[in-house]
Amino acid sequence: MLEIKSLHARINPEEGEGKAILKGVDLTVPAGEVHAIMGPNGCGKSTLSYVLAGHDGYEVTDGAMRFLGDDIGGMEPEERAAKGLFLSFQYPVEIPGVPTLTFLKEAANAQLKARGEGEISAPDFMKRARENAAKLGISNEMLKRPVNVGFSGGEKKRMEIFQAMMLSPKFLILDETDSGLDIDALRVVADGVNALRSPGRGMLVITHYQRLLEYLKPDVVHVMADGRIVETGGPELALELEAEGYEKFTGAAA
Amino acid sequence: MGVIPQLSAFEAALAASLPAGDLRAALETGGLPHRRVEAWKWSDLRAALAKAPSGAGALAVNASRKADVNAALDHQPDLLMPRLAAGLSDGCPVYDLNDGETLFLSFEAGEGASHHIAAINVPAGVQATLHERYHAAPGGFANIALRIVLGEGARLTRIAEQDASPDGVLVVTSGIDLAPRAKLHQTTLGFGARLARLETHITHAGEGAELNLGGSYLVASGLHLDQTGIVRHTGPNGATRELFKGAAAKGGRGVFQGKIHVEQAAQKTDAQMNHRGLLLADGAEIYAKPELEIYADDVVCAHGNALGAVDDEALFYMRQRGLTEPRARALLTRSFLAEPLEAVEDETVRDALLARLDAALEAVS
Repeated sequence: MLEIKSLHARINPEEGEGKAILKGVDLTVPAGEVHAIMGPNGCGKSTLSYVLAGHDGYEVTDGAMRFLGDDIGGMEPEERAAKGLFLSFQYPVEIPGVPTLTFLKEAANAQLKARGEGEISAPDFMKRARENAAKLGISNEMLKRPVNVGFSGGEKKRMEIFQAMMLSPKFLILDETDSGLDIDALRVVADGVNALRSPGRGMLVITHYQRLLEYLKPDVVHVMADGRIVETGGPELALELEAEGYEKFTGAAA
Repeated sequence: MGVIPQLSAFEAALAASLPAGDLRAALETGGLPHRRVEAWKWSDLRAALAKAPSGAGALAVNASRKADVNAALDHQPDLLMPRLAAGLSDGCPVYDLNDGETLFLSFEAGEGASHHIAAINVPAGVQATLHERYHAAPGGFANIALRIVLGEGARLTRIAEQDASPDGVLVVTSGIDLAPRAKLHQTTLGFGARLARLETHITHAGEGAELNLGGSYLVASGLHLDQTGIVRHTGPNGATRELFKGAAAKGGRGVFQGKIHVEQAAQKTDAQMNHRGLLLADGAEIYAKPELEIYADDVVCAHGNALGAVDDEALFYMRQRGLTEPRARALLTRSFLAEPLEAVEDETVRDALLARLDAALEAVS
């Protein structure tokens, strides 16, 4: 479903010194699987999520990204979104003046339009919003507020998963979704993510810690260090990292 | 400085249309306001009119009702533009607003130069609305002066819409007096002209009088809108709130000049002024000059001004959710500009203003 081959990327030279961050990432996530990427701070895992989503702060210098068989490297962020790629942000952005549901309805319809499908009806949309909000313990009052404005870190993460539920993407990238969550919020968010698991949907879970993975039970765990995937294994790899730390891999990559 | 400028053909024609006297002499000596005059440094009226048709223009004034009287002006303005408007108008229509009334005044300037003056009185205790709309056709110049007086405890909602007028020039100077306990809520929505200036001078008597002054503007390429507002607090216990928000597209120019002057007698004045500008692209221009001048020692006064661009991270976030870049930009710009308009109490008027803003945003994106 998602195939990344020898991906090299650097900070866009217009915005910085052009420092290389991704130095040859190889990664394949088949439909229906959940893959985790773990790694120390600064290894490039958040950059990978931005590059996949099409952030113009980074420039792909080599390699390829294919999603559902198509090369997405030259696509605009909104084209990738319409194709079914969803990024749950590590730091969700506040958008004053734009109510959450208004925004999401417009986003859903923009994606449908880009795919040549008809718009969702307002009653259907509201019904789904109520159902999904209930699953995540999101109040009506929260839905009426402007996107992410005045929410705590944990509430923002919950809203990200709510947005994913509303937009039904084919592939989710969860960038440090566990950061800033207490143990109860972590469980609610993990339940939401698990509810999104399906044979037709892939996920890439980027995290620093193992605790989210206890709930999500990934099929495959990758270790990233210095811009590359340096180790791939099963869920036991996450436990090993938790016990032994990243030193073994950062040492190996240096 | 000190050099007598050479009058443009436009200024010469304007001077020739005036009877000999102080006003004509003032025009012949100083010309029309231009960029070397501090109060007009970002809005060079002389340059904007230098090649404009100088013949007498037709100004269509559509009022929702007849004036109560057409009287001689009871008050001599100080500034050149309203003096010209007074000097070149035949009398002055005076509207005494009734309780609950909405007076519509629409001004449509055809090619050529036109001048107009009108007076609006809101008698003590009366609550009313004044809704104006301005447009200048290509080659048209309208110089309009309004004198607005709010009696004690009077309440006026003033809405002024200024339609995009490419190749038109418009100067509207409003002199407003607020008596004790009067309340004025003024909201402008402007889109600019070759040069448009909405200038408001308010004398604020305090004693419980409240002023709420705000507006939104969006200037597209080739358009210029200047909003200049001077509030003078003359008595104690007055309140002023100002919120102006504007956006300029590439080649558009917005100007905000705001001054709150607090006289020594105006103790306990509570005044805040804010302007925020959004530069939509490289080559957009917004100039702002907020000023406080305070001679009383027991007041709470503040001003703020910020200029910026659309937040790139918000833009990326919205695009990641599927919105196109132009749509994400328009939504962010819209939410930014809507705030002063959302303060309009009347829902029908508010929705109409927001709809006009939306239509204009669609056109610039």
